[in-house]
Amino acid sequence: MKTLGLALILAGAAAPALKLEAPKPVTLLNVSYDPTRELYEDFNKQFAGYWKNKTGQDVTIRQSHGGSGKQARSVIDGLEADVVTLALAYDIDQIAEKAGSLPTDWQKRLPDNSSPYTSTIVLLVRKGNPKGLHDWGDLAKPGVSVITPNPKTSGGARWNYLAAWAWALRQPGGNEAKAKDFVSRLYKNVPVLDAGARGSTTTFVERGIGDVLIAWENEALLAIKELGPGKFEIVAPSLSILAEPPVAVVDKVARKHGTTEVARAYLEYLYTAEGQEIAARHFYRPRMPTVAAKYANQFPKMTLVTVDEVFGGWKKAQATHFADGAFFDQIYQPGQ
Amino acid sequence: MRGLESCTIGLVGMIAVGGAPQLWAQQNGGTVVAVVADTADTVTPPSLEARVEELDQKVRILERLREIAADSAAAAAKDRQSATANAKDGFSIKSADGKYTLRLRGYVQADSRFYPSSEAVTSVDNLLIRRARPIVEGAVGRYFEFRIMPDFAGSTPTLFDAYWDGKFAPQLTVRAGKFKPPVGLERLQSATDVTFAERGLPTNLVPSRDVGLQLSGDISEGLLAYQVGVFNGVADLANGGDDLSSAKDFVGRLFVQPFKSGSFRPLGFGFAASTGLERGSITTSGLPSYRSPGQQTIFRYNSSTTTPANNVFADGKRVRLSPQAYYYSGPLGLLGEYVVSRNEVTKTGVTAELEHTAWQASGSFFLTGEKNSFRSPMPKRPFDLKEGGFGAIELIARYGVLSLDEASFPTYATITSSVQQAKALGVGVNWHFTRAVKVGVNYERTTFTGGAATGDREPENALIGRFQTSF
Repeated sequence: MKTLGLALILAGAAAPALKLEAPKPVTLLNVSYDPTRELYEDFNKQFAGYWKNKTGQDVTIRQSHGGSGKQARSVIDGLEADVVTLALAYDIDQIAEKAGSLPTDWQKRLPDNSSPYTSTIVLLVRKGNPKGLHDWGDLAKPGVSVITPNPKTSGGARWNYLAAWAWALRQPGGNEAKAKDFVSRLYKNVPVLDAGARGSTTTFVERGIGDVLIAWENEALLAIKELGPGKFEIVAPSLSILAEPPVAVVDKVARKHGTTEVARAYLEYLYTAEGQEIAARHFYRPRMPTVAAKYANQFPKMTLVTVDEVFGGWKKAQATHFADGAFFDQIYQPGQ
Repeated sequence: MRGLESCTIGLVGMIAVGGAPQLWAQQNGGTVVAVVADTADTVTPPSLEARVEELDQKVRILERLREIAADSAAAAAKDRQSATANAKDGFSIKSADGKYTLRLRGYVQADSRFYPSSEAVTSVDNLLIRRARPIVEGAVGRYFEFRIMPDFAGSTPTLFDAYWDGKFAPQLTVRAGKFKPPVGLERLQSATDVTFAERGLPTNLVPSRDVGLQLSGDISEGLLAYQVGVFNGVADLANGGDDLSSAKDFVGRLFVQPFKSGSFRPLGFGFAASTGLERGSITTSGLPSYRSPGQQTIFRYNSSTTTPANNVFADGKRVRLSPQAYYYSGPLGLLGEYVVSRNEVTKTGVTAELEHTAWQASGSFFLTGEKNSFRSPMPKRPFDLKEGGFGAIELIARYGVLSLDEASFPTYATITSSVQQAKALGVGVNWHFTRAVKVGVNYERTTFTGGAATGDREPENALIGRFQTSF
């Protein structure tokens, strides 16, 4: 009787399993930095179609954008990002170290140090370049108003700052003291520090403030294309920095949401020809050589240095320049 | 804005009437100002156009700074502490960083019990408060949570849950305190989510609450759930507190949902077991009594106040085994479990191992199309007279059997008052007005073997109605 009872229970549980069901729809949250809105709006549509065809599953991707450092802090404080696509590796390192949401060697999980596309920093000036700004040195001159976001909250701003610093170091007789003096003079010309790169673009392009915007290359190209055709020009400085915005699955959250598989596929899709095309169309420099060659003409030729070679990596750069009390705090006092 | 405009006009006017300084210095904060000096002796003032441009930039900067300050204030407001009330979390207070929360929840169940044509039932038809349980839950920091749940429905308040959770990873939660030992499947379902007003016959053979320490977690995104723990050890159906002896019960449960897709995806099955030693006495037996679905006592071990030396008590090993499964697909839900409870008992120095068993299969179906699950669903159209919402209608049915070991009689139990077997068949309907409000009625007929002075106890026909509010 006991055996019969058990058999009946199990048989009863399995009996109705007769029809096939479509996979349950799934939602991903991509927490990203400021200027990637348009890139991921486009990419998300493409990926959703790809994933539906591949698995039959509907995927909805929600986006959150803001200054990269601020976004990282939100994730550390509990914002449930399935994936993060931030401006610099240090911000994802912070999530790994402080929240323990992903392993500290997360950069090894995808090709190219988990940076599927790159960018750099350029100067955006008003049409005709009325102040005659041609290189970093011009930005520190008296009477020049410079727009750049706050390095404390914006990843792009940190790239801007380091690009200027690297240029100063590479000048004849350049050293740390001279670079610090130069960057200090440059930031004295900054009237408004927005929290993120998109805010700075708004300040410069829409509010008409300043003579030059230090900007992501993709943001500058987008501004010319969409926000102010015929009103702005890009100035490629003699030296800039190779920005490598990284991406990662936030393992802890993805596991909790049951989205690990689709989150991984989402990021891997950035490396496909389709993903690279979308990145290039939004003015990010693609990694894939064939796509890079196709879009080579839209990017100015520049000498690019890396954070590793000039600053000894992001950890060191963060501690030296952006930590509380470090160089940036020493050279920039709000309201002065 | 008007102030800024006035300021601009004023400054422009001042410059226009010749009040401008001879030498302009670049100002901190980045205002664009040209330094113009022809020679050491003569300084050419900036043109009027340049001055207006400068002031225009100043105004724009001030406006932008004000915009940024407003954005920052709005963002900060979002991060402030919040107090919320909703069906999912009850009433809650949350710190700005979300790490500290306090939730006030609870539920009340008001029942009616009628026993039509049940001659052997001694209880009268009755209206009663079955459960009245306020719940205080919260989080203290990133990893730690707690829950306290008493019940005020009985003649004396009883503590049901009081535990601390350390949630370190999806794969590892540490729980310490008083809570449900993970043995019976339906027992693990919340009292607000069970389909019938009273749980089925197998719940007789598993513990209700016990004090202990448990490790639990989900592995591979819910593919495998596990719980292992050490508890004081309590009798079947008991809500325990202090232990009767130093020996402890060890409890473990594995539950798998192995199919990520396809027809069997909603299938979950598992196995639970507990083992331990119990040492009762003639005054504190450490043994249970069992109930019918109508909550009548149908089995008890022999005990007497006049000759306590003849009382039966727990005296040795106690083992429980329980294979269990559920299947939730669309509006359909099925749940089945089987429980074996073995207890070593003693009477006047004579010890025996008694094995009681029980099983049940139950099903439910939402006529209104809600997705069935181990937890009560949110009605697709919650009850709302203005919006035309009706709530959710759920049909329920179950069959279960409880078999007491034949060796129980006559030494350890009396066949004229305790049954040897009970078979219960029940049907019912639940009306979920909202997630928080449910009204249900179920009818269950239970037939017995033994349990009467002559032959079998008369069947019990229990008609139970329930009005439930939870928040």
